[in-house]
Amino acid sequence: MTVSNLILVVDDDTAIRDSLSKELRAAGYATATASEGREGVAAFGTGAPDLVLTDLAMPRSDGFELIAAIRAGSRTPIIVLSVRGADADKVRALDLGADDFVTKPFSVAELLARVRAQLRRTGATASATLNFDALTIDVERRRVVQGGREVRLTPTEFALLELLATNAGKPMFIDQIIARIWRDTPSTTADTVRVHMSSLRKKIEPDPSDPRYIVTEPWVGYRFIAEPI
Amino acid sequence: MTGRVSRVTVWVAAIAAIAAVTAAGWGIGLNASTVGFLYLIAVLMISLWGGLAVGTVSSVVATLCYNFFFFRPLYTLRIDEPANWFALAAFLISSVTVSRLVVAARVQRDAAVALSAERERLLEESAHMQALRESEALKTSLLRAISHDLTTPITAITIRMEALRRRAVGDDELREVAGAIADETERLRRRIDNLLSMARLEAGRAKPRPEPTPPADLFRAARENLPQVFAARTVTVHVDADCPDASVDPSLVLEILVNLVENAHRVSPPASPIELVARRHPIESDKVRIEVLDRGPGLPPGVADADVAQRGLGLEIARSLAAANGGSIGLAPRAGGGTVARIELPAAPLPVEERA
Repeated sequence: MTVSNLILVVDDDTAIRDSLSKELRAAGYATATASEGREGVAAFGTGAPDLVLTDLAMPRSDGFELIAAIRAGSRTPIIVLSVRGADADKVRALDLGADDFVTKPFSVAELLARVRAQLRRTGATASATLNFDALTIDVERRRVVQGGREVRLTPTEFALLELLATNAGKPMFIDQIIARIWRDTPSTTADTVRVHMSSLRKKIEPDPSDPRYIVTEPWVGYRFIAEPI
Repeated sequence: MTGRVSRVTVWVAAIAAIAAVTAAGWGIGLNASTVGFLYLIAVLMISLWGGLAVGTVSSVVATLCYNFFFFRPLYTLRIDEPANWFALAAFLISSVTVSRLVVAARVQRDAAVALSAERERLLEESAHMQALRESEALKTSLLRAISHDLTTPITAITIRMEALRRRAVGDDELREVAGAIADETERLRRRIDNLLSMARLEAGRAKPRPEPTPPADLFRAARENLPQVFAARTVTVHVDADCPDASVDPSLVLEILVNLVENAHRVSPPASPIELVARRHPIESDKVRIEVLDRGPGLPPGVADADVAQRGLGLEIARSLAAANGGSIGLAPRAGGGTVARIELPAAPLPVEERA
């Protein structure tokens, strides 16, 4: 018997809070709920959840407050329930330390995939190879095999792929990417990142018209979309 | 015109008033001091109504009449008794003073009225500005509230549908009903998205925020947005190897694409595929052309590019959104039957730099 992961659901709308909790329990997770930010902070303290799902716009104390409070002392994954047309809010939440977002109205399948990705990412131990559907990244020997064929990458392309793949499912800011890959030249521009990313995508995607590994994340940067196996 | 008439009227009225007092005093035989007061009242009224010039002239005329008709010797301008000199002098002084005072009071009152009118106008103006600002803020918060209030129940329905789907395992009829409700809910969501986008554009709240966007990522996002269309029929995607990224607001262009694909899906026979193609514009190399090709009935004869509006709300919205992104959309007949919906957008070429 395994202990189920506990997910804290924070939303001011009762219907969403209840239905979401029910679906999460049906998927095998334990749940706790709160109806606004401060209540969420309290529930976070008492429950020590493995993941937090939070709405942003809530009366009294909002989701930003909650994210900031949690990030002050914890790396527990946070997924934001965003609404369409509130891209600035979404980016701000990611900037405050949220790990991912889904846009309301989302499908349960989509949400569960995001939850799995976050729990897997935080539970993962550094491993020598990263395995995805038809893609293997051998970090130690710096080899990439896609669809049975070895793909030759430049050192920068490999570093980009490794960074994104180890953060699979997490939107990565261009600034974060520059800070990690171009440590010695922090003046590197987004256009430079674009050039290398475009070339990397052409090399690893079996059909560049229909990407399965890396996509752009509007107003943020890039996201590795394949689920690890 | 009215000004001149009223000037004449004032002078006529002044003469009439002094004549009336003279006639009354003389005819009835009132004593001199009573007549003096009556003249004073007449001058006061005239000054009040006609202003300083009429008032002063009236004062002098009244003094002359007073002397001529009421001081001995009568019917001359001579004055025999020295006391009458004082009386007349006192009358003239009071009369002119009264007319000056009255006029000064009136000027002051007019100034006060003008000032308060000006103040009122300023107050109104600032209230108007305030109202404008408030209505802008109201628009924003109203749009936010509508967006939230419409999205929340749809989200709750979408989540609850999942429970229904679980129950429907092994029950074909229930599964079909659940699927249909899910599809309709999706459609409702997209219509609400469309209306909110339009409202945001109209209210000037949706300032497109362009960024380099690979067409392949737009196609992928369209698939995520229209799962039932992509499940129901073959949708092929093709991006030319040399196709530049588009410099557009990704979420607005996604909405255009979703509307066009949905439209193509609606008009196409079930088995026919929809094709999504992106390539560099054949003539203007600083543009990206994205096409949605269907094998539907095609455009009715005589429908030109400009008549996009005839094809429904979705296309009308797509056109507005394209324009907001510095692009355009057009419809053209497709060789072999069907329609090509074409989106032309500004390109965001990759900079040429040395390799790392």
